[in-house]
Amino acid sequence: MKRRAIRIPNLGGARAIILHRPHTTVQALTRQLAAIGLQVTQAWPDLGPEALAADYIFFDADLGHDAMFPWDTGQPPIPMIALIGSEAPGRIEWSLKAGSHAQLLKPVGDSGAYSALLIARDAFDAQQALSAEISDLRRRLDERQTVVRAVTLLAARGKTEAEAYAQLRQMAMAWRISFEDAAARIVAAQGGMDDRSERG
Amino acid sequence: MAHGPCRQTFGGCGKAFLVWGTLVKRRIELGLLFSRSGSYSLISEACRSGALAAIARINADPALDVSFAPVERDPGGNADAYGPVCEEILRDTGARHVVGCITSWSRKEVIPTVEKFGGTLWYAVPYEGFEASDHVVYTHACPNQHLLPLLDWVMPAHGRRAYLTGSNYIWGWEMNRLARERITAAGGEVLGERYLPIGSREVGRMIEEVRFARPNFILNSLIGPSSYEFMAAYRALGTEDEAFRPDRCPVLSCNVTECELPALGPAAEGLVAAGPYFRGVAGWPGEGNFGSSHEAAAFAAVMELARLLAGREGAENWPLSQLLAGDRGRGIVDPETHHTVLPVIIARVEGGAFKALQRWDAVAGDPYLTRSRSSPARVLRVVS
Repeated sequence: MKRRAIRIPNLGGARAIILHRPHTTVQALTRQLAAIGLQVTQAWPDLGPEALAADYIFFDADLGHDAMFPWDTGQPPIPMIALIGSEAPGRIEWSLKAGSHAQLLKPVGDSGAYSALLIARDAFDAQQALSAEISDLRRRLDERQTVVRAVTLLAARGKTEAEAYAQLRQMAMAWRISFEDAAARIVAAQGGMDDRSERG
Repeated sequence: MAHGPCRQTFGGCGKAFLVWGTLVKRRIELGLLFSRSGSYSLISEACRSGALAAIARINADPALDVSFAPVERDPGGNADAYGPVCEEILRDTGARHVVGCITSWSRKEVIPTVEKFGGTLWYAVPYEGFEASDHVVYTHACPNQHLLPLLDWVMPAHGRRAYLTGSNYIWGWEMNRLARERITAAGGEVLGERYLPIGSREVGRMIEEVRFARPNFILNSLIGPSSYEFMAAYRALGTEDEAFRPDRCPVLSCNVTECELPALGPAAEGLVAAGPYFRGVAGWPGEGNFGSSHEAAAFAAVMELARLLAGREGAENWPLSQLLAGDRGRGIVDPETHHTVLPVIIARVEGGAFKALQRWDAVAGDPYLTRSRSSPARVLRVVS
């Protein structure tokens, strides 16, 4: 699959929260983020509801735990960047489960924040796009039976299966709805007729 | 090097005395890291002479308690030599500040070294932005001060079909990425994009592509001999086919200044450049008699450093963040981004000299393009 082009976000005025105890790492990261143009706040030991208005979360992977985020484990609604000091496998595992999209190694120095922001944003967007695509495919899979019924109904009027299929596609286009929604509409509309024919 | 008349024998130990009513100067070593040979030596020489002129000025100024002793090292145009040579300055001498680097490649090589030693690099060359090191001061222009105003000028005037060239390293790559983004966002089209290794003179393919693509303008981010060769070949193309005369399809540059005009000769005629200074333009710190913006930006860097150190004993050993924090934003350096507020001038080479077409007086450097959401078009004035 061809990778889509990365979108360089405009970070001017974007809000970042650093979920980390007061530390030189927070200072260095704040300097970098402010230079880039973000508004930065620090939070510890947990994230309040203000997190829902943020654009990026940087969180401590060393002392972090699930309860410090105000959302279901691993379901962050915004890009998350892990601040990793200890590279112990258990901590890496936890930060991945928490849903991190990028990481920065501690101690944070003079650079790294900009690439972490761009990578986290891109990974988050890609994840969102994939989730949306998967749930759409799942829905279409669920509705496959409806499509088969609609095609059968249309074919029952003397069309071949291929003609019925093409007709359904044209209807969907004319109604400006999805193929599956058009099928559902036909099944619903012809449900009574269908019943009668079965009775007859 | 000229020393100030009041640099008494007991200067140099960091103490300032009043002797016969004049300040005794603290002698402060200052690193100069310029390649005096190699493909971009003309720019190095321009920056170096700007820095040396400022040093002479400061050393002769009886009102300042500082004098600079230059510590010069020459990486010979080899990008890989910059890091080690800069380390030599910071490790083996008392210098904590280094003025130098021309290419972005060399600047990126030097940053880990200045970070490691708590030093500061003063960088006086236009660059591609997207950087704000805690250990670098950027005294020349970044894209919102060169490329974006230049594109805003060219597209209404000539059209939106572009051909992009560059030397094969980060300056060319990033300039062309940003140009492509802005041109396509404005409904324009990039017809071609081609790079040459630094020092290469193989411009034939580019010229042929231009001949067939027939763009409205060309963005030239080549450096050194590649650029000289390209400009000469393009001038020849313009004599063959008038669609490629500079008044019809101009070449744009954000890195050509007066210091390279002798190497370009008549091939520079009609080139349109953006920069913070062109010869003869008023309103620049100092007398404004600089040969080029490279010279002016290096001069301004050294003058600003002297101002930051003056009257603050021991400050020569402070990191940049501490120097700026104590200064409370009085100087030219933005304490957040370490970039500077500069004039933006768009100028065309006519009769061997740049003639200003448009000018903005004071545009703050916005390295990540996050502070100014649009280019400063509303405050422009036309210079005729």
